[in-house]
Amino acid sequence: MIDTKHEIIFRPEQCVGCGLCYKACFVDVIRWDAENRRPIFKYVEDCEHCFYCESVCKKGCIEVRPDYASERLLQSFDNYR
Amino acid sequence: MIVEYGHETKRTDVLVIGGGIGGLTAAVSIKERAPELDVLIVEKQTAGYSGKANKGGGVLQYFDLNRIKPEEFVEYHVKAIGSYLGDQELLAKYVSMNNFMLDKLIEWGAKLPKNADGTYNAIPTGPMTAMIGVDLDITLKMRRTAERIGVQIIDKVAVSDLLTADGTIAGATGYSILDGTFYVIAAKAVVLATGSQNYRIGSMWSSGRGDGIAAAYRAGAELRNVEFGNFAQLVKVRSHEEVVFGENNMYNRLGEFITKNFRTTPEPDINSNAIREWYLAMTSGTGPVHLEYDEPGGSEGAPLIKIWDRPYGQTFWRLNNERAQAVDTDLEVCPMLIGEQSPVRVEHDMQTTIPGLYAVGDVSYCGSAAPGAVPAPPGRNRGSGILNAVFAGISCADSAVAHCKSSAMPEPDEEQISGSIRRVYAPLERKSGCTAKDVIRKVQSAVGPMENSVYMRADRIDAALQTVLEAKELAKTMKAVDFHDMLACHEAEAMVLSAEMHFRASVMRKESRGWFLREDYPEMDNKNWLKWIVVKNSDGEMKFYTEDVPYKKWPVQPQDV
Repeated sequence: MIDTKHEIIFRPEQCVGCGLCYKACFVDVIRWDAENRRPIFKYVEDCEHCFYCESVCKKGCIEVRPDYASERLLQSFDNYR
Repeated sequence: MIVEYGHETKRTDVLVIGGGIGGLTAAVSIKERAPELDVLIVEKQTAGYSGKANKGGGVLQYFDLNRIKPEEFVEYHVKAIGSYLGDQELLAKYVSMNNFMLDKLIEWGAKLPKNADGTYNAIPTGPMTAMIGVDLDITLKMRRTAERIGVQIIDKVAVSDLLTADGTIAGATGYSILDGTFYVIAAKAVVLATGSQNYRIGSMWSSGRGDGIAAAYRAGAELRNVEFGNFAQLVKVRSHEEVVFGENNMYNRLGEFITKNFRTTPEPDINSNAIREWYLAMTSGTGPVHLEYDEPGGSEGAPLIKIWDRPYGQTFWRLNNERAQAVDTDLEVCPMLIGEQSPVRVEHDMQTTIPGLYAVGDVSYCGSAAPGAVPAPPGRNRGSGILNAVFAGISCADSAVAHCKSSAMPEPDEEQISGSIRRVYAPLERKSGCTAKDVIRKVQSAVGPMENSVYMRADRIDAALQTVLEAKELAKTMKAVDFHDMLACHEAEAMVLSAEMHFRASVMRKESRGWFLREDYPEMDNKNWLKWIVVKNSDGEMKFYTEDVPYKKWPVQPQDV
């Protein structure tokens, strides 16, 4: 979906720089800072809340907070716009 | 311009575009048959994580071939799902290869549950079919297998255009989404495995953005069954989480069980009449629609997801369910367009109409004609998504190897390359303009509403097409701010193309058949519409024509012709 307001919380203290979150993102939300071995959450507005980055992080550094209300269902009835 | 963004030139025997389950299967199958060939996968995100196989229910369709003959399933499918529009021979081949494919997946590293006696632990889903659970690391296992046997992989490079030489495939161009480096990849054979068109609507289907369909179209490949790209599913209205099999339990605001209005006999999965029923409830004032189950919290799809011990996918599903449940206060549902247009036309060896260009998985599911009048998996055939991709990936291998062995390394055409460079970087070079999302928003507003794309009528199709044509004009002015955004612009162009083809073909098909549903032509018309609609780019013009379905050569035939 587009025009969403999902949030991704990153807690870098535990991050070991494995890069799995970067690889797991299938929509290029996450970029990789190779020098510091840390993810950059660069395009959060494109997050599809698949939770893969959060799932693969063994240290629990990532939390995806979907804002479902910001997703549009594109139907022609006021409740579902 | 090339110098400004960097330039890489590569040569490979086989180029596979897309690193999901279809592309990985094709790459591994080709390399197994001919280890001496160079096989290169180019993936715009990360092969092994991208695609849809690792984001769904993780189910594989299973046929107990000791009990069910392939031709029995074909007869059932042709009558109940494909509505006489499918290639029965190809469908029978898919069923026949079921056990072979499952065994191959195990060989390639996937873990499939088995009983103590060595048989597969399969859950029946109907009189003929069953499902087997597979953990969601299936694509990662395939990537490791591919790398172990010598397949090369380049991640974060988006393929933009297919190159041809004298009408035969010659390779592809692409660019790094990280630094914009332009790639020219010469190849003797190319396998397109880029997925279907899903218009960036449903979250788990968001990888299917139609850029491979658009590349094939621009290169002159024929597309078939573009009008069957309008799959929809019931979702909970707050979390938008899909409710598999929810159509069996639909109730309106008055508490009436409305499933009975469209479902008189057991059916394998949702059909478009469920969408119509929702729409009729909403327009007649008896909406909204909600689900009711005999057991509190029950849903028929959920146990299938939870039944197997699949450690890799467990966290994924737990997080999805937990976050959704936090906002789902009831079981009100509405439909969401999923799309799944998958129209690249292929023969039984998965070769497109461009020699040396193959198309596998969700980019060519309907284009193969195997399923008939139904959108790509899940298209009323649960568990067929992953296995169709595996089937197509295996099926292309012999032909692709033979094509490589009889071809010299092509010399990419400089004029085509220059054209591709101009096209690729145009949104970045533009001084100002609209955003990719301005275009996508417009396309979504046309394809998203159920009455435009699922429960169709001539006047609504026409209005939706006009909106798409406005989006097409807008797309000429897109301005990208970086390479990530440039990719979004190209994907937006692909969405415009898919939507235009969908609506133009839909207005042609004056009948209802299978999933395809028209309010103004509610009956199936075997006298006039046992036809495929084919579309082709002819010197820049979108040309449509129809082709008689050769049903007479297949065993299951309609009675009223």
